[in-house]
Amino acid sequence: MTKIFSIRKSKRIQMKSLCPQSRFSVFSVLRFSVRVVALATILTTGAMSPTPAQETPRAKSLSKRVLCMCGGCEDSAGLCNHPGGTFSGPCETARAMQKDLDAHVTRGESDDQILQAMVEQYGPTVLVEPPKKGFDLLAWIMPIAVPLIALVLVWEVVRRWRQKATLAPAGGPPINAEFLARAQREAGREPGRENDE
Amino acid sequence: MDILGSFALLLAFLAAVYAVLAGIAGILTRRTLVTKSARNAGMAVFVLVTVAVGCLEYFFFTNDFSIVYVVEHSNRALPGFYKFAALWAGQEGSLLFWSWLLSIYAFLVLFLNRKRHPELMPYVGVVLAGVQTFFLTLNNFVATPFRVLAGPDGAGVMHLAKMSEGHGLTPLLQYPEMVIHPPMLYLGYTGFSVPFAFALAALLGRYPGEKWIHITRRWTMIAWCFQSIGILLGAHWAYAMLGWGGYWAWDPVENASLLPWITGTAFLHSVMMQEKRGMMKVWNVWLVFTTFMLCILGTMLTRSGVVSSVHAFAQSSIGSWFVGFLIITFVVCFAAYWKNRDYLRSDNQLDSLVSRESSFLFNNLILLAACFAVLWGTLFPVLSEWVQGSKISVGAPFFNKVNVPIALFLLLLTGVGPLLAWRKTSFDALKRNFAWPFAGGVLTGIIGFVWGFRDIYSLLCLILGVFVTLTIASEFFRGARVISSRDGTNIFTAMGELTMRNTRRYGGYVIHFGMVLVFIGVAGTPFNKDLQKEMGVGESLRIGPYTVLCQTFDHFDNANYESDRATLEVFKIGKSDMLLFPERRLFHASQVTETMVAIQSSPLRDLYVVYAGRSPESGKPVIHAYLLPLIKWIWFGGIVVVLGTGLALLPNRRTALVLRPATERSWADAIAEATPAIGAAARRVEGHD
Repeated sequence: MTKIFSIRKSKRIQMKSLCPQSRFSVFSVLRFSVRVVALATILTTGAMSPTPAQETPRAKSLSKRVLCMCGGCEDSAGLCNHPGGTFSGPCETARAMQKDLDAHVTRGESDDQILQAMVEQYGPTVLVEPPKKGFDLLAWIMPIAVPLIALVLVWEVVRRWRQKATLAPAGGPPINAEFLARAQREAGREPGRENDE
Repeated sequence: MDILGSFALLLAFLAAVYAVLAGIAGILTRRTLVTKSARNAGMAVFVLVTVAVGCLEYFFFTNDFSIVYVVEHSNRALPGFYKFAALWAGQEGSLLFWSWLLSIYAFLVLFLNRKRHPELMPYVGVVLAGVQTFFLTLNNFVATPFRVLAGPDGAGVMHLAKMSEGHGLTPLLQYPEMVIHPPMLYLGYTGFSVPFAFALAALLGRYPGEKWIHITRRWTMIAWCFQSIGILLGAHWAYAMLGWGGYWAWDPVENASLLPWITGTAFLHSVMMQEKRGMMKVWNVWLVFTTFMLCILGTMLTRSGVVSSVHAFAQSSIGSWFVGFLIITFVVCFAAYWKNRDYLRSDNQLDSLVSRESSFLFNNLILLAACFAVLWGTLFPVLSEWVQGSKISVGAPFFNKVNVPIALFLLLLTGVGPLLAWRKTSFDALKRNFAWPFAGGVLTGIIGFVWGFRDIYSLLCLILGVFVTLTIASEFFRGARVISSRDGTNIFTAMGELTMRNTRRYGGYVIHFGMVLVFIGVAGTPFNKDLQKEMGVGESLRIGPYTVLCQTFDHFDNANYESDRATLEVFKIGKSDMLLFPERRLFHASQVTETMVAIQSSPLRDLYVVYAGRSPESGKPVIHAYLLPLIKWIWFGGIVVVLGTGLALLPNRRTALVLRPATERSWADAIAEATPAIGAAARRVEGHD
């Protein structure tokens, strides 16, 4: 019992010793001043307080998988940025889409369901990547299939070259084996002047 | 003046047409005078187009707002530097600029070779003049830059714009790099016409020998170098100007510039097969043709807006002209190939050294796979719309997913290829050559993993980067050691000597090393961080090791733009480190706002701060800070690539062969006598650039 008590006691002491620090740290002062400034702006301008998109990591990653549909940019909703606009950040459309995604996520829908909902709302162009079904599957298959076919072709070419090489012996007069060996040795000594590059 | 410009353009068109017709007549009738006259006409095109360009620049510099193109792309307050760049700010001017650069190339080619290759040059002249004719047709009849505003009593938008003295140059283009980036890219695009002309000419004229392939390779390297500079400057412009913390968005126009670069790279590698072994001739010719056609396609994508893009400031329905030209080019190429396909028969078959040849085949395969993947992704929305009737989006994630594995495989080959290729590939040699680089790569992998490099692609890229660097270093070291032990010089002098003896090979290694640096720079991307925050004076945000404190906001005004500027103090681990000044500029003429990013760059990471403007909701200033690791390596790698290309273009230093005792002398002769094959090969190496 006494042991447990002492541990509790020490914990309490630790917590106590931490508290004053955090209460009077520079950041808490800053945070406080931010609140004051924010309050002041609300009071003076009567505007709504800014509500930064409370995005979960999942909503954030989803926002990068749908395009901003404002028509003025080609970015995803998560990366929307209008360099020539009055505000170089996510535009209203993008922020609306981000909030929309947040809502979907908090409703506990799966990624596929959410993306499907976005497609129903905005049309198929909303997806950053082509969907992996139907005709659009070709977009994904071809970059893999074409190199593979080419690989088979290259293989075939190499095989045929080899066959021909075995059929047709190298031309020219026969080379003295001793000369050849020495020539190769000499060539090996001067890598800068090798035949090859 | 506008009459002079238009007239010069029209004359240039006639001269180009004449150069084509007289050139063909000269080839058919074999009359030297006609051929000469065609060549002179080809060179005259350069003078005439230069006059036209001079006229347009004159209008810009004298603020002549009676010319539509000047009204649209300039204003009185525009700095002179940008008035010059306004030449290529729009459709008409860019096409004129294309024409002009092509005419410069054509002039150089015709002039430098006026006494050489009498069998080949007439064909080259015809092909170049043919391409020139197409662009001059556009300049004269489709998109003329010398359109004058309607009379003084004309009303309408253009008239109003004239009253206010010009729309001004797109603010996006008002950035020093924008004055260099388009010319470099265009020099690349147009430059690929020269190897195209030589390849087609050699094929049409059945030019004997391999000389033309050396010429083609040289010109390809020049064009390739410009294209590389252009692409990297474009990436840097996007990074420093657009304020989104990225440099490559897989935008259709970016992709278009990458495509000929990739096929050009493939050609520069596979051309060695032809030079050394007389193989892959058909393949090489088609690579050159494809590269040229991709250049035209690239120009078309930029100009026509078939696919939507951020470069949309210069578009119209000019696409059909380009499609027509592409079809004609393809038909001509195919016909030339079909008629002369026996000319391209391989001299050699593959013999014992399987690995050398197949390493080139794989290199080409991977490069073309990358090229295809990019082209496919770029055109898929068009294809999809055509087939299914509905457009879909193919965005950056698609390109990254498809291309990153390809690129990594290519990086692996960069390390493996040169060693497989130039050494006897016995298992022992493999072990000897790859032991250290392999060990270095594995060690890097372990260190990287422990240090927190947990992204699989980044880690692989780092491992491969170290592997390739070590193989390159070992190549330099091994060669230099031989020279230094023989000449008694120190190892670094020997490395210089080695490089200068075979600039092409060691220049190539330098380029490879530059590409490794670029890859490592790209590998930092998964570790990007960003934070957007509303910040008043005295507020701060923390990102990585930095604390950014907002000091003041100020406002100033000049003739061209007014600016809102934030002054931010950056603390690094509690210590005041620097001041950053991100800006927002409102350009008077165009009434467009532009962000000026403040970047604190270091080899490890860039701190990239954007003043995004005032929040639409709260009206407070919003600061967007990015922490981008390793970006600087990309730009540095680009510089290394360019230096390497320059090195590879230098002629080899002819070394006086230090002969050993007199008996050795007879050795060389004896070999040459006994084996004409080796003698011939030796001569070929000597004569080789």
